[in-house]
Amino acid sequence: MNLSDLKPGQKAILGAPTQEVSVKLFEMGCLPGEEITMLYAAPFRDPMCFEVQGTKIAMRQAMASIIPVTLCDE
Amino acid sequence: MSKKSLRVGLVGRPNTGKSSLFNQLTGMVQKTGNYPGVTMEKKTGLTKLSADVLAEVVDLPGVYSLHPSSADERVVMDALMDVHGEGAIDVVVGVADGTNLKTCLFVFSQAMDLGIPAVLVVTMADEMKHRGMTLDAQALAKTLGVEVHIVNTRKQEWLPELKRAILEAQTSPQTPFFIPQAEYDSWLQPSDTGNRYAAWLKGINHGQNQAAIDATGKRPERLRADEAIQRYRQVNLWLREFWSNNPAEDRRWVTRVDRVLVHPLWGSAILMVILFTVFQLLFYVAEGPMNAIDVGMAELASALSTILPEGFISHLITHGLMPGLSGVLMFIPQIALLFGFIALLEESGYMSRVVFIMDRIMRPFGLSGKSVVPMVSGTACAIPAIMSTRNMENGRERLLAIAVTPFITCSARMPVYALIIGLVIPDVSFIGLNVRGLVFFALYALGFLAALGSSALLNRFMPKASHAPNFLQEMPEYRWPLLRNVGMTIFRRSKNFVNEAGRIIVAISVVLWFAATFGPDHHPDFTEAHEVIPIEESYIGIAGMAMEPLVAPLGYDWKISVAIVSSFVAREVFVGTMAMLYAVGDEGIQSISATLAQQIRPDTQEPMFDLALGVSLLLFYAFAMQCMSTLVVVAREARSWRLALAQFFFMGALAYMFAWAAFVALS
Repeated sequence: MNLSDLKPGQKAILGAPTQEVSVKLFEMGCLPGEEITMLYAAPFRDPMCFEVQGTKIAMRQAMASIIPVTLCDE
Repeated sequence: MSKKSLRVGLVGRPNTGKSSLFNQLTGMVQKTGNYPGVTMEKKTGLTKLSADVLAEVVDLPGVYSLHPSSADERVVMDALMDVHGEGAIDVVVGVADGTNLKTCLFVFSQAMDLGIPAVLVVTMADEMKHRGMTLDAQALAKTLGVEVHIVNTRKQEWLPELKRAILEAQTSPQTPFFIPQAEYDSWLQPSDTGNRYAAWLKGINHGQNQAAIDATGKRPERLRADEAIQRYRQVNLWLREFWSNNPAEDRRWVTRVDRVLVHPLWGSAILMVILFTVFQLLFYVAEGPMNAIDVGMAELASALSTILPEGFISHLITHGLMPGLSGVLMFIPQIALLFGFIALLEESGYMSRVVFIMDRIMRPFGLSGKSVVPMVSGTACAIPAIMSTRNMENGRERLLAIAVTPFITCSARMPVYALIIGLVIPDVSFIGLNVRGLVFFALYALGFLAALGSSALLNRFMPKASHAPNFLQEMPEYRWPLLRNVGMTIFRRSKNFVNEAGRIIVAISVVLWFAATFGPDHHPDFTEAHEVIPIEESYIGIAGMAMEPLVAPLGYDWKISVAIVSSFVAREVFVGTMAMLYAVGDEGIQSISATLAQQIRPDTQEPMFDLALGVSLLLFYAFAMQCMSTLVVVAREARSWRLALAQFFFMGALAYMFAWAAFVALS
């Protein structure tokens, strides 16, 4: 399951990206092992907005689809 | 008594209240300039730290990390390491949002590791309290080894304490929070200061180092990622004990508001309503002051001409200097309003939502949500707008944005539009809306369509990017805009405009006055009352008449052709030049629009400024790249004169075609 598959309100734990992503993502606090919440998406589900470590980060589907996540149990 | 002087750099993430802090430290004593090598705006100001220490405060751009991800982010690293020899930063003031301390400490810890004396300012004290978050500032200060101050940037009582802290700031005695391991020594590029972290920053971000890649088996991006992971681990350790982030507080309303604002239907509708309201307000609110300035300056010139002794000086002031000055001052209400609106949208956090909803829609044109910001700023002026593309990490997208932003209706077109709409469009209502306002809106829409259309066209022909573009954008919290910050932006922009564009405009006006008052066979000595030469025999008349055949198909006479040529310096010069050219032959002194309304076309004896000529002129100014400064900025930002010139001719050809078609169709 990837970040792009999350529905609004779902929480998950970030895994390590499967392809090279911008280092800026890490520097903004979006690190493997952190909990991430999907908040909402723009029209066409792209880009999507997530909350991680108290920061809301918007990224495109292309990036969200190469970041694996493990869904948190409710 | 010589005063001691310090250089203080403000470092922090975007949206942390850094600008508020800067405004409070420096007050009105601010300067704007450019960072060396880039056209990024650099804000500096002076503050008196004590009776004998004066500090220069530099508001460094907001960044998430000292490792630059784009051209403008590089400025921060360069300034802290004094790469350009402008003078070292003596004290770093880190600015961190108290409600989001963890990620804010990241970049501050990097600055501390450079060994520069530092102070940490934690902002949003009121919001922390409101959300039930606590921070043990003393304990954190002890751990970090630097002073920590919790402040509410909406108040000021903490200012003296902060100034004292800056004066007494020390290099943290703690060991660096991140130490590049010995195995990465091949990456280090030692600096004068001998600081190991500085050598690491420099080594990773200065050019290709194949030897180091081979030796360590890691690329610079990988090393940056390693640093980020280690550094966050460290920051988490510090904060666990001192900072409580109480998740019980209900923040769901923000997400609910966001879901409405980014909703495909509601979000787009709200955006349209906001933009539409802004333009209607811009037209109504600015119209009064603009007319007042126009008429007031004309009356002042009239009064002056009766007071001053007749002669060269009097004529120069009333017919050359004053109309030029009027053309500059008339702009200020619009510039102030527009930059005020943009600042409000940015300060409140709404601008980021605009970027978010527009991203997917802009992509088919080769643009991204981020290009909406230059496009919206372009409604004020293409120059800051083109400069604002610096934070776009994708070079191709950035080039496209630079190429098409000049189509956006800038405020320099507004005086031209306002003058011509006032002349040829009747002041009536259509389904409850003012028709002049509607025409204004249509011209703005036309600018956007032209920009998008040409971007799509360019996108087809430009070589494709090698890898998928990054789009990472923080969505800041909603905040009530600080009126002081909005006011400072308005003040700074207006001042810049008067200082930079204003001087050129006044200078050109005087040159034009000279060219219009003197001719090859005429050297008036102004000793006799109103000794004015026929304008056809002046230097400018001769030049304009030579060019008339070129613009005659568009319905323009030689005076308009002169005004178009001279307004290449800046579009707004058109208004002043028209006033000058049509007023020079007149006996009295009147307001600009009254003078133009009286002009008669010599062949038909009809009023000259009819609908056909008006629309032709509006379209010409909508499309033509009538701005020398924009041309220069484009060439500099894109590092390509070829692009700038291609843009100039492309826009000129479009303008000519549309203006001609409109004139033929309507007359």
